[in-house]
Amino acid sequence: MWEWWQKNRPLFLGGVLLLVALLWYSVSLRQQEETNFIESVVLRLTGPVQVGFDNMILGVASTWGHYLYLVDTADENRTLSEENRTLRAVLTQSDEVRLENKRLRLLLDFKETQDIDTLPARVIAEDASSWFRTVMIDKGQEHGVTEGMPVVVAEGVVGRVVRSSPRFSRILLVTDASSAVASLLQDNRARGVCRGQGEQLVFDFVLRQEEVKVGDRVVTSGMGGVFPKGLVVGSVGSVERQEFGLFQAIEVIPSVDFSHLEEVLVLLRGPQ
Amino acid sequence: MNRTLIYFALAGIAIILQTVLLPLVLTGDYKPDLLLILVVYLGLHEGPWRGGSLVYLMGWFYDGVAGAFPGLHGFVLLGIFLAVRAIVTRVNTESSPLLLLLVLAGTILDSFLTAFALDFFSHAARIWPQMAWHLPVQLLLNFIAALILLRITVWLQRTFMPRKKLPGLRKLDSRYES
Repeated sequence: MWEWWQKNRPLFLGGVLLLVALLWYSVSLRQQEETNFIESVVLRLTGPVQVGFDNMILGVASTWGHYLYLVDTADENRTLSEENRTLRAVLTQSDEVRLENKRLRLLLDFKETQDIDTLPARVIAEDASSWFRTVMIDKGQEHGVTEGMPVVVAEGVVGRVVRSSPRFSRILLVTDASSAVASLLQDNRARGVCRGQGEQLVFDFVLRQEEVKVGDRVVTSGMGGVFPKGLVVGSVGSVERQEFGLFQAIEVIPSVDFSHLEEVLVLLRGPQ
Repeated sequence: MNRTLIYFALAGIAIILQTVLLPLVLTGDYKPDLLLILVVYLGLHEGPWRGGSLVYLMGWFYDGVAGAFPGLHGFVLLGIFLAVRAIVTRVNTESSPLLLLLVLAGTILDSFLTAFALDFFSHAARIWPQMAWHLPVQLLLNFIAALILLRITVWLQRTFMPRKKLPGLRKLDSRYES
């Protein structure tokens, strides 16, 4: 018996450790909606570094786009004068400013249509893992951001705040597998729940007798208690109605391009 | 203590790379899991208690920047670490192909444990179909990242610390491999 124990002890202890870790994870899920101490520390520690790197990257991209690229162009086109190069630099820069202006104007227009307070924020980092869809923003509790607040852009719903520290917060995107948004079809008002599927969403619990067409717009229903009613979630990409079963299988293409998320708006007050 | 700090610094660098720098150069939502590579390395060269507690703590830190499930990565990374520890006495821990192979196996185990923990314990939608779809790309990315890191580490050791012994990297240099 002693020999058996000596031989299998590492395996047994390893199993016990793994089980303890699993139990702790299971218990922690009960406090999933709140930011725990370690997560708060990580946000505080990594946030400033991520902001620093983000700014540095913006700086390098700007230098490359507005100066180095033009030096290369000048090398390739020796006939171009210094004045031309400078003008191109200004033009490129103004293009970038114009595009940024356009994005911000869209956000501003959207902000004015909302009857609730909003807070603009910049996306500074993505999720560290390939399996999840979250982003980090440069606003936190000091700016009034708390867990559960909805986050949007002019095109539609982005997600909700799941973790917040004094100066930084993390947003769970609607495309994440653990995200669910109470939604409805804008045309026929059929209700359901939009769940994340990575790049797309699935619209669950729409009864099979409901008439759903590809291209139909899906908006938030306001029923979930997180998102205000009427925000655009996306449009129907495909509909599959099987012979049997209560519900239809509907795929939704998000209205927001999550690969180019730069500025977002946090809705500071929940739905009225 | 110094080694512990170095491991945490490496984990910090991995997190910054995965959250800020790599998304700029890699399209889609794919990124190599550098922390997983570090955990496999720790499994090969650190003892069960010291390495296990380090890995578990790293998992909790990882939760601060990945997903929304506290304790998930602690469980997953500890599972990978213990799996590597279970075979460590039967293999040549200083073989570079083994490290690459274990990174691949670790990636599969990572997705399996994550899917298990999410599908059985949380309210998340079924994540395993997504994971199965993304797994081949993730395997390729992790393999390439491990290969590059191995080359860089060996080169750094040879250039800057030729007399210094790095655990597990003494013989990874091709000059010592038969």
